[in-house]
Amino acid sequence: MSDVGIVRGCKIPRDLYYSVEDHTWVRTNADGTVTVGMTDVAQNLAGPVLHAKVKKVGLTRAKGKPIGTVESAKWVGPIKTPVSGEIVAVNEKLADDPQLLNRDPYGDGWVVKMKPTDWDAEVKALVTGEEAVQKYKEKVEREDIKACDHIE
Amino acid sequence: MEDLEGKKILVIQTHGVDTPTRTYSPVYYAIAAAAMEMEVMIWFTMNGTNQLRKGEAEKIELKPGSGVTLKTLLDQALDAGVQLSVCQQSMDLWDMKPEDLIDGVKILGATSIIDLALEADHVMYF
Repeated sequence: MSDVGIVRGCKIPRDLYYSVEDHTWVRTNADGTVTVGMTDVAQNLAGPVLHAKVKKVGLTRAKGKPIGTVESAKWVGPIKTPVSGEIVAVNEKLADDPQLLNRDPYGDGWVVKMKPTDWDAEVKALVTGEEAVQKYKEKVEREDIKACDHIE
Repeated sequence: MEDLEGKKILVIQTHGVDTPTRTYSPVYYAIAAAAMEMEVMIWFTMNGTNQLRKGEAEKIELKPGSGVTLKTLLDQALDAGVQLSVCQQSMDLWDMKPEDLIDGVKILGATSIIDLALEADHVMYF
C-alpha cells in the first residue's frame, strides 16, 4: 500500500494524524513535540493563499483554538489546532511565501510546532492511516468537495 | 500575530445591492476579525439593508465566473460566528418585513446601535 492516500486528487499521507473536520494534520516528532499544518484538501478549498498569519511562540492554545489565519481571494478563516499545547516554533517562511501552504502543505508549508499537554487523550479524537483516508473520502463525498488543484 | 481574543469590532455597512462593488469588503473584514477570535457584529443600515432580503445576495457575484456570491460571504460570516444585525427603521425604508430577511439576522433599533458602538473596541464604517 502506498504511503499516501489519494482522495479526489487530494493527498492524504497515511503516517500523519488528522482532524478531518478542521482539515488539519499532526506529525509526531522524536523530541516529543508535534508539527501541525493544514491539509491538501484545505489548501484546495481556500485557493491560492494571499496571506497567512501565525500566532506567536510561547502562546498556549487549547484544542480547537486558532493557531493562525489564512486568507485567499475568496476565503478567510482560522487554522484550528487539533491538539492543546504550547507553540514552540512557528513557520516564519509563511509570512513571505504563504503559498507554501498550497505547494507543500505537509512539508515546507507546516504551520506551528507545539509541545502537547494532553497528547495521549487527544490523539484518540484524531484519525491516522487508512482510517484517515476513508474518513476524508466520506467527507469530500458528503460535502461534494471539488478535486484538488496543485499549484507549482 | 497579537492575541486579540474577545476584542469587539462593530462593522457598519451602509451600501447595498445597488452598489455591488461596495458590498464585499466589509463582510470579508468581519469574517477575518472573527477568525482572529474577535467578537464581531455587522450592522446593516441605509442601503446596506437591502442585501439581507432573501434572494438578493445570490445575485451579486464577487468576480464574474468565480461562483462566489455575496450570499457565500454572508453565510461564511454566520458560520464564523459574526452577528448580522439590521436596523429596524431602515427595513421600513425598503418595505421589508422580518420574514423577508435571510436566516440568522437580528433586528435592532437605533438605541441599540449607539450602545454597541460605545461598547466596541473599534467601529469600522462603510
